Amino acid sequence: MADEKPVSSNMLLALGIIGGLLGIYLIGINPIIGPLLACLGGVCAIIWGANAIRSVAGYGLGTGVPSIGYMSLGIGILGGLSGLALVSLLKLPAIVSPILALVVALIIGLIIAVIAKKIVGMKIPVLIRCTAEIAGAGALSVVAFSTALAGSYTLSAIATSVILPGYIALFFIMNTMAIQEPFNACLGPNEDQRRTLTLAVANAFLAIVVVGLLAIPLGYAALLIIVVGFVGWLCSYKKFLKLSNEAAASVVWSGLWPKLEDQ
Amino acid sequence: MDPISLIIFIAVGGVLIGAGVHFIPVGGAPAAMATATGVGTGTAMLAAGAGMTGLVTAASLTGQSMIMVMLLGAVGAMIMMAFTMLIANYIYVYGCGVVPASAKVDNDPITGRPQEIYCTPGTEGHGIPTVCFVSGVIGALMGGAGGGLVYFVVNDALTKASLAAPMAAAFAGIIAISVYFINAVVASYNIGGTIEGFHDPKFKARIGKGFIACLLASIVCGIFVYVLIGGI
Repeated sequence: MADEKPVSSNMLLALGIIGGLLGIYLIGINPIIGPLLACLGGVCAIIWGANAIRSVAGYGLGTGVPSIGYMSLGIGILGGLSGLALVSLLKLPAIVSPILALVVALIIGLIIAVIAKKIVGMKIPVLIRCTAEIAGAGALSVVAFSTALAGSYTLSAIATSVILPGYIALFFIMNTMAIQEPFNACLGPNEDQRRTLTLAVANAFLAIVVVGLLAIPLGYAALLIIVVGFVGWLCSYKKFLKLSNEAAASVVWSGLWPKLEDQ
Repeated sequence: MDPISLIIFIAVGGVLIGAGVHFIPVGGAPAAMATATGVGTGTAMLAAGAGMTGLVTAASLTGQSMIMVMLLGAVGAMIMMAFTMLIANYIYVYGCGVVPASAKVDNDPITGRPQEIYCTPGTEGHGIPTVCFVSGVIGALMGGAGGGLVYFVVNDALTKASLAAPMAAAFAGIIAISVYFINAVVASYNIGGTIEGFHDPKFKARIGKGFIACLLASIVCGIFVYVLIGGI
């Protein structure tokens, strides 16, 4: 509830970056568990992004919460793919691909946010930091889901398994929804971080169920992703409903109904 | 394709997208309650609908000339935008029972009909009057053509870099969508939420700044698209 101490943005940033990158790097650990770990990396990135949306959209963008989500995911995909491409352009070892994808997305996010702030004249103090964060989270989540499908984080593998069949467009919209929808659904006078982020977790698990469905050609790995995603979604969504009920006005005003034995 | 031409074409496409967004009658939440003129949703939604339809139609002419791809992109986006505004108007007129009218002008610049007497007191107009409809279609034309141009140049550059045609089209599609959204949202930040169209005083006041912002944003996108193409 609102009286609990909120989780700091820096901690969620660390969770997103470390969790996301770790998930992506662990893809090669095992053909069955690897894709699941990559998906869970994507979940971490989505939670990070949802918190950044919460910080920036709380100021009131004037264009709706989804707008910054779509823009940042656009930056994230462009930056993510450019970062992956940079590895072959500069002949760097493939292991730096995910880090470069994140860094390039952060840089483009930073530049676009500076343009929005300095030229357009947006007056939101956290705009630059948050746009970069959402772009980074978007890039990491898309690269993580793509890695889960492709089995590798190199651009050539992702191009064949994700971009050619058009799954990248699905990830664009799905990850945007997963990142921007929690705050859009929960915003209001009694919005609290715990409830919003619980919905973000539910969305992220639902997203990995979709990744699992796309990964059916991979065999048992897909089944594992779908089961974990479904169980994760069920638990987090139940928790979200509980938090929503607790926060509902009548409950806040009058407290929970007393149990029969207490009367 | 040399880097300078690629970046210039992407910048032109981006500016067309950004300028197009300024023409679209975005009403936001007030319009959803029929207390402001325009379609009752945000720019991101309208741009997504029209822009993506435009890109799909543009992509259906992959391999044709630049003008054809841009034209078909424009036609797809215009059809989508026109239908969105038409259906929204049906809902406003027959569902909410309001007359399409603008509070920003005394007479509709296209039909010349008076507007003020039809505006409900306390509102900023409602529905999508003729001038807003025409403005929206012009906006979709520019946005669709801009999206089509970005798609064409990226696809062309990738094909010339000897990438297989389906892969080039897939890359060009996702890059065009990304550039489209970045410019559409930068433009909507510049508008500050709602606008009625080219007759809105906001249009003249903001279009210059929007032009520069979208130009710079597209140049940045263009540079990274060049890196991406080089890496593929």
